[in-house]
Amino acid sequence: MSTEVKRSFTRTVPFWAGLAFGTFGAVMGLALSDAINAATALILMIVPAGLFFQTMRVANTTTTCNGRGEAQRLYVKRVAIFASAYLVVVALQVSLLGGDEASEASLAARAALSVMPGLAICGIFWAIGRLILDEKDEFVRMLIVRQTLIATGFALGFATIWGFLEAGEVVPHIPAYWFAVAFFGGQFIGAVSNRITHGSWGAL
Amino acid sequence: MKNRLKVLRAERDWSQQHLADLLEVSRQSVNAIETGRYDPSLPLAFKIADVFEMTIEEIFQRD
Repeated sequence: MSTEVKRSFTRTVPFWAGLAFGTFGAVMGLALSDAINAATALILMIVPAGLFFQTMRVANTTTTCNGRGEAQRLYVKRVAIFASAYLVVVALQVSLLGGDEASEASLAARAALSVMPGLAICGIFWAIGRLILDEKDEFVRMLIVRQTLIATGFALGFATIWGFLEAGEVVPHIPAYWFAVAFFGGQFIGAVSNRITHGSWGAL
Repeated sequence: MKNRLKVLRAERDWSQQHLADLLEVSRQSVNAIETGRYDPSLPLAFKIADVFEMTIEEIFQRD
């Protein structure tokens, strides 16, 4: 039973996640290259958003079969909501501020459109915090905290080192939102560390 | 910290999942405690003692 569940997880979740990110990249590419207009990009973003929901639904079903708790089911739902919101607002931002439209939009409109993707990612940070609060299993909670601390350390370390390298004109300037990407990369490092030291990948 | 969880569980012919259900924790928690990778909190240690109807000292010992 557990082998079947594991096999099903490795086949289905990466498949749906790959489709979701693939279609998201394709739509973004079309929007950035002006191959499609803003309205079309926005409509097409429904496809990766729907695929992302499907990914989370499959992951949710699998986690239920693994005996994981209500806290993790809520976490998956929250991440699915904020990730979908992120896809939509990024598409909106790229479509409306991507070209000459940026100079035409007012400062308030640009600020509103630009802050939305960041807020959606903050929603995922909030979901991680709520998972730590909601998780009843103390061992799993410890793994999540450990994983998140490693991810935070990795992101802060990356930001600090990159900043000094930038100051020394060794590396090019990158937008600060890449440090959030480093945080999510750090989650993977945290999961590997959990697996090595505690025999379990954790819950994120 | 050493523990006799695996032996006590085997004596009762319980699976890790069954013990996890009794303790209301995940199977991976039971596995981590059994293999010494994780020391449970005092409330969980009391719960384990209650499930086996023993004292904490009879289940957990210093290294």
